[in-house]
Amino acid sequence: MSRPLLSVKNLGKVYPNGVSALKGVTFDVMEGEFLVVIGLSGSGKSTLLRCLNRLHDPSYGTIEFRGERIDQMKDVLSLRRRIGMIFQNFNLIPRHSVINNVLMGQLGRMNIWRSLFQNFTDDEKAQALQYLELVGIANKANIRADQLSGGQQQRVAIARALCQKPELLLADEPVASLDPATAHTVMDHLRKANHDLGITVICNLHFLSLVREYATRVIALKAGEIVFQGLPQDIDNAWFKRIYGEEARDIDVE
Amino acid sequence: MLGLNAYMAKKREISMLNKTQFKESLFDAVTFTYTLAVTFFAGWLLASSLGVDLSAYDQDFFVANVPKISLFLVGIMGALLWLNPLLYKVGLRTIGLVLFGPQTPTAQKSFLKTFHGLHLLVIFLLTFYVSISVTEASLDDLLDPDGLSGAARLWLGLADPNWSILPKAIVKALETIFIAFLATTLAIPVAFFLAFFASKNLMRTGLALSIYTTLRIALNLSRSVEPLVWALIFTVWVGVGPFAGMLALFLHSVASLIKYYSEVIEGISEGPLEAIRSTGANNVQVVWFGVVPQIVLPYIAMTLYRWDTNVRMATVIGLVGGGGIGTLLITYQGQAMWHEVGCIILVIAAIVWLMDAASALIREALK
Repeated sequence: MSRPLLSVKNLGKVYPNGVSALKGVTFDVMEGEFLVVIGLSGSGKSTLLRCLNRLHDPSYGTIEFRGERIDQMKDVLSLRRRIGMIFQNFNLIPRHSVINNVLMGQLGRMNIWRSLFQNFTDDEKAQALQYLELVGIANKANIRADQLSGGQQQRVAIARALCQKPELLLADEPVASLDPATAHTVMDHLRKANHDLGITVICNLHFLSLVREYATRVIALKAGEIVFQGLPQDIDNAWFKRIYGEEARDIDVE
Repeated sequence: MLGLNAYMAKKREISMLNKTQFKESLFDAVTFTYTLAVTFFAGWLLASSLGVDLSAYDQDFFVANVPKISLFLVGIMGALLWLNPLLYKVGLRTIGLVLFGPQTPTAQKSFLKTFHGLHLLVIFLLTFYVSISVTEASLDDLLDPDGLSGAARLWLGLADPNWSILPKAIVKALETIFIAFLATTLAIPVAFFLAFFASKNLMRTGLALSIYTTLRIALNLSRSVEPLVWALIFTVWVGVGPFAGMLALFLHSVASLIKYYSEVIEGISEGPLEAIRSTGANNVQVVWFGVVPQIVLPYIAMTLYRWDTNVRMATVIGLVGGGGIGTLLITYQGQAMWHEVGCIILVIAAIVWLMDAASALIREALK
C-alpha cells in the first residue's frame, strides 16, 4: 500500500476552559478516500477537522500531511491553502456576488494588495466560473450570495473550496442544515469532486443512510475517542447503539 | 410554604455574608441612610416654613460641615448594614431583599401594604417635597402679571418672524451643517480604527483585553462630558468661533461612533471569518473580506445618524460661542430682538426636521 496522504497519531485537544475535546485519536487517510466521521454533537468531530487545517492548534499528538509534520508547523497559511473547507452554515460573504465568493478561494495565493482591491485576472475569473459550472450554478454567478437557497449556497461554498485547488477537502456537517433532497445534491457534488478531481474528502455527517451511500470508510468518535473504524456496511445496529447511545434510533434520509 | 421559608431562613443564617446578601444589605443601608437624610432635610424645610428660626443652620453651615456630615452618614450606613438581616428575621421584606434576594413565594398583597412598598412611597414623597423647595417652584411666579406680559411680547415676536434676516439665517445654518459635517468626517477614520480595539470579540485575552478596558474607560469618560462643556474648553483653547464648536463635536462624535461601531463588530457572525481564514488568507484579508462586508452598511447608517445628531448639537454649541446659527440666535436673544429670534427658530426647526427625515429615509433604504 502507498504512503497515506494524512497520518494522525495520538491527536489530542484540550481547550483553554479545560474541556478535553479530543483524547488521543489515531488514524490514516489514503489518497482518494471519502472518509466520513460520525458521532454525537460534542464528540469532537468539528475539533478534529479544525485541527487538521490548524484553525485550532492541537494540544498533543502528531499530524503528517504527505509525510510532512504539520501539527507544529509555523506557516499555517500555506498549509490552509492546500486544504479546502466547507461548513454547516455555508459561511459565504452575504453581500458579495457568487463569483466573488468563489474567488475568495484564491486569496491565499494572491499578492495582498491585488487581493484587497479585488483585482482578479481574467484567468482567475474564468477558473472560478468553471468551478461554478462544476457545481451547476454558473448561471447565478452575478447574484448576491445571500439571495441563494441553502443548498445553492453550499454548492458555492464547495466551488470556493475547489477554487483553492486543494489536495484535501474538509466538510464540517455540510448538509446538517439542509432538507433531505438538497442534502443529496450537495453530497453528490462532494462525491463528484472526490471521483472526478481525485480530491480526498474528510466529511462529518449525522445521518447513517448518507454515510452508507457516500463513504468509502468510516470513523466514529465518542467523547473524543475513536470507537469504530471500518467500512460503512459494517456499522450494524449494535455498533450504532454503541456510537449514539442506547436510546438512539436511525433516521432514514431518502 | 412555611417549611420552605424556615429552610430559606436557616440557609441564610449559615452564610450570613455571602455575596448577594452583602449586596442586599449594602443596598438597604444606602436606602435607609437616604431616608434618614431626606427626612431630616424635609423636617428642616417644614420647620423653617412654619417660622422656626433655623438661621444658625443655613446652607453655609452645612457646606462648612460637609466632611463631618459625610463621615456621620457613612457611619450610619455602616451601622445600618445589619438592618437587613435584622428585618428579615422579623419577617419584613426590604427593598434590597425584593430586588436582589432569592425569589420566595409570597402571598399576593397590595403593594402599599408591604414594607418595601411603603418604604418606597415614603422616599418618593419626601424627595418630591424637597425637590419642590430646592427648585423654588412657585405658582405666584408663574402667574405674575408682569412676567406674563413679557412672555406675551416674546411669543408675539416669535409668531411674527422678521423674514428680512432669512438669508443671513440660512447662511449661518449652512455653517452649522458644515461644522457638523467636518466634525463627523474627521471622526470617522479615528473611530473606524479604534472601534476594532474596543470590540470584545476581537480583544479577548491578555494585552488585548487590557487595551480594550483602557479604551472603554477613556471613551466613557469623554462621553460623560457633554459636548457643551467640551465647547467651553475649546473656546478658551482656540478662541470663540466655529472651529471650537467643531472640535467639541469631533471629540464627542469619536466617542459615540466608536461605541456604535464596536457594537456592530461585536454582533458580526464568526462563520465567514473562519471560512476566509480556512482558505489560507492572512489576517488583513480576513478582516477585509470577513469583517468589513458585514459592517459597511450599519456603519453608514450609524454615521448618517451621527451627522444628523451633530447638526442639532452644533446649534446648541453655537449658543456658547461655537459658531453657526446658534451664535446668531444668542446674539439676537441678548438684544431682545424677538422677531429675528422667531425667524431663526423657524429655520432651525426646518433644518432639524429635514435632516432627520432625510437620514431616516436613507437609513431605511440601507437595511
